[in-house]
Amino acid sequence: MDLNTTFWFFEKIKDDNLCLLYNGLISDDITNKLIELSEYNINNIEGLSKMRKKASFLMAECFQNIIRHGEMVTDLEKHMNNSFFLTRNWNDIYCIASGNLVLKKNIHTIEAQMEVVNNLNKDELKDLYLQVLEHNEISGKGGAGLGLIEMARKSGQKLQFEFEDYNKSFSYFYNQILLRADEAPEALSISHSPISDAVYLHKKMQEKNILVVQKGDFAQESILPVLKIIDNNLKNVFESSSSKKRIFHVIVELLQNISKHCCKNQKISEGIILLGQSKKGYIINTGNYIENSKVDALRDHLNKLNSMSKEELKSLYFSKLKERYVPENNGAGIGLIDLARKIASPFVFDFHPIDNQKSFFSIHIVA
Amino acid sequence: MEKQFYFPGSEDKPKINFDPKNNVFEIMGNSYPEESPKFYIPLINWVTEYSNYANDKTHVVCKFEYFNSLSAKLLYELFFELQKITESGKKVSISWYYDPNDHFILEKGQEYKNVLEIPFDLISY
Repeated sequence: MDLNTTFWFFEKIKDDNLCLLYNGLISDDITNKLIELSEYNINNIEGLSKMRKKASFLMAECFQNIIRHGEMVTDLEKHMNNSFFLTRNWNDIYCIASGNLVLKKNIHTIEAQMEVVNNLNKDELKDLYLQVLEHNEISGKGGAGLGLIEMARKSGQKLQFEFEDYNKSFSYFYNQILLRADEAPEALSISHSPISDAVYLHKKMQEKNILVVQKGDFAQESILPVLKIIDNNLKNVFESSSSKKRIFHVIVELLQNISKHCCKNQKISEGIILLGQSKKGYIINTGNYIENSKVDALRDHLNKLNSMSKEELKSLYFSKLKERYVPENNGAGIGLIDLARKIASPFVFDFHPIDNQKSFFSIHIVA
Repeated sequence: MEKQFYFPGSEDKPKINFDPKNNVFEIMGNSYPEESPKFYIPLINWVTEYSNYANDKTHVVCKFEYFNSLSAKLLYELFFELQKITESGKKVSISWYYDPNDHFILEKGQEYKNVLEIPFDLISY
């Protein structure tokens, strides 16, 4: 992923109050963190908190489907095992989607199950549920059918689904549900966010090798759960705690900068973070609105840091470290100086003009 | 005798136990509160007060997992305040514990060691 990827995603999801996209291995560990983060997000949006329980239940079902189906592909190359998970909120709508690889020869069976579930009314679904409970399975793979029935029952909606070709033997199976805070799902038109949007976002993440995209409020309380997920993921990826900590550090500093300096949108420190991989290492992109009046100072600061040698950065760091702390100057930019010392290549950044008041600031760091 | 400064620690804030009576001074864990100054300034003020009747020997144990850049700056202020105690002839020293696989914490310790004038031991655990 490059610098421009940030704005691409930000534009795609610009009406979202929050958006969490995950493209990677899904394990019980990650599942719990993703649910925790989504619950946190829901609780913080007015009017959404009452659907928290339902949303969490549905998310858990999604994950269980992924994990169950995922077992079938464990023998494949690791990179093929990337599953997808999405939660988004805009207005009073909450959207949950997931995607995982399934064997092509099973598509027909899954499709048939989806048809059955989508053609039943509430009472019929309940009967089917009890029947499956009693007679165990409707699918060859333990209980996968039960999850789908439960998702349809709890959401009170038709399940949206789609298959996307992956290779000779596998396809991605995507499904999506929309929830509405006022519990009137009948009125919900799928034109709001067709499942093809989810498929498209996942494709882009795979193409750009992106693990996590999160858009939302980056005040300190909100970044803690994000950091937990990242921390957890990094633990699985890195043997050495040094590189893990270096990346964690870059993320903390960038997110705290957003929280401190971004142009607040209704008191929310709105921003986006993307975490990706490349041959050179981990890539961290962030983006946020910034007031036009602050653009020049930030650009000059970054250009200055980019032009300095490691020795010069070191002495600048120490002089800032020893300066008496003054609340007005917010740490005197020590965060970016510290980052400049830690990263291998210069900061790549851009200011994209939005209107008379603000620009979109994006920064790209290879750690 | 001033009373103990104690904070139990949290996800983004370190555990602090500065207890003159038992001559224990410990700070450990994570430190990345966004409002680092709000968290550290009371502790720094506590040390200023403590310097008036400090114990003959004050030994501070630091065992960090991770801290952000603003915490790094405020830790320097904390250490500097502790260092000032030595002006009255009393002794102050710091032990900085680090995981040998963790260059991040080791490097930060080396930086403090270089800029401070009190005994500062880097100890691998």
